[in-house]
Amino acid sequence: MTVKWLMHWQPKPGTTLSTQILTEACQCVESIGGQKDGRWRSVLTFYKPMQRDALVPVDHPRDFLGLALQEQPAKYYFILRPNRIVLEADASIQVIMEKLQSYKARVTLNFEGFQYKLGDFQLRVGKCVPSASEALRGIMMEVEYIPLSSIDKSRQVLEEFFDIWQETISKKSLPGHFMHIESNFADYGLQDRYTSHHTAVQYATCMAQLIAAVRC
Amino acid sequence: MTRTRDRTLSKWSVSCKGLLKPSCGRSEGEENWREKLVLQHVNALEILLHGLCGVPKEQVRVHELCLKSGPNLGVVPSEVRLLCDLAHPTPSWTVRHVGGAMRGSGADQISVLVRTVVESKVSNNVLRFFYGLGYKLDHEILKVGFAFTFHRGAQIIVTVTSAHKMPKLHAIEEALPITPNIHMVEITAPATAENYNEVVAAVSAFCEYLAPLLHLSKPGVSAGIVATATAAAASLMSNSASKPL
Repeated sequence: MTVKWLMHWQPKPGTTLSTQILTEACQCVESIGGQKDGRWRSVLTFYKPMQRDALVPVDHPRDFLGLALQEQPAKYYFILRPNRIVLEADASIQVIMEKLQSYKARVTLNFEGFQYKLGDFQLRVGKCVPSASEALRGIMMEVEYIPLSSIDKSRQVLEEFFDIWQETISKKSLPGHFMHIESNFADYGLQDRYTSHHTAVQYATCMAQLIAAVRC
Repeated sequence: MTRTRDRTLSKWSVSCKGLLKPSCGRSEGEENWREKLVLQHVNALEILLHGLCGVPKEQVRVHELCLKSGPNLGVVPSEVRLLCDLAHPTPSWTVRHVGGAMRGSGADQISVLVRTVVESKVSNNVLRFFYGLGYKLDHEILKVGFAFTFHRGAQIIVTVTSAHKMPKLHAIEEALPITPNIHMVEITAPATAENYNEVVAAVSAFCEYLAPLLHLSKPGVSAGIVATATAAAASLMSNSASKPL
């Protein structure tokens, strides 16, 4: 699998997200030659433990995520951030978790939008909305460099793309900027060769950042 | 769960079990002789199965870990099994959840067990994952033997294994047989809510072919051993020696 960077929109303090920013971002992609190549949708779920006795304090992970990725329709990924665990499973793991009744879905977020071909890159630009409402919770972007699977070897070209992208989007004078947060893949036992496990970790890292930003 | 589920993910399983245990009149002290007799029974069963199935056997070496939910976790206590397939150079892991058995007068009338079974292949950090969720190891065993997978009215898997316990945590190489002279024979067939009647009939019919060597019944229900199994095993071994399969 080829290397991917995940970026999210960081609004300027005191400003809010709007679909106008998403529209402008898509136009920017097209302005630099991106060819629309269909839609994409990934789904992230926050899980919470179920307790038989609600009065007893819970000693279970509070940061437990599940992720269904567009590019891996037969798989599902669980991330336990405190334990630095990312698990890949067949999609049927969701049925097993339902039957166990030990954890249930608390919040589900849909990441959806358009994907673009741009030379050796594949880009995805999309919004993050809860499944139960239309409220915009985030704007995300995935940048994938098709020729390489090595994270180290692709770093320079992705950094250069990121710089070009920042310069392009800044011309729109939007209230905020895209951010890429480095994930510590080694903490999760992941190697230099990029996989969907890495994507799952990036989404988990990004969620932690988004949640922290909302609380500020 | 949020994604649209393919209903075929909710699978049923039709199964029955039996014990391959030679009966003998000799004293318990003659272990060498007893081991040879067990081997004869197992080999005879293998010959019989090979003749019936027409496919080569597969090696079975599975490290099975049974995990249970910790205190206060879950609406109800839950149990999940992690299966590590050690028969191939690269171990692979599966999570299995076994649901409740079909109940009612229909279930009572059939000689096999019908229940839901859901499995998922997982990455090899699954044990750490479930520990992180609050599950605890209840027990672990190593199952060693062979299996035949074939189609006879339905896809059927016949597994013949001996169970081993580990003296220390995860010490597979030091595993010892729990019941040295007994092998478990399990016949399993995947089914759905729409076709389980046909699968039940196929499994029941196949069980009849094994009657010379062992009785099969619902898991948890003892069917006893076949008194003439030793003679049948000897006959099978003799026939196979004179006629190549």
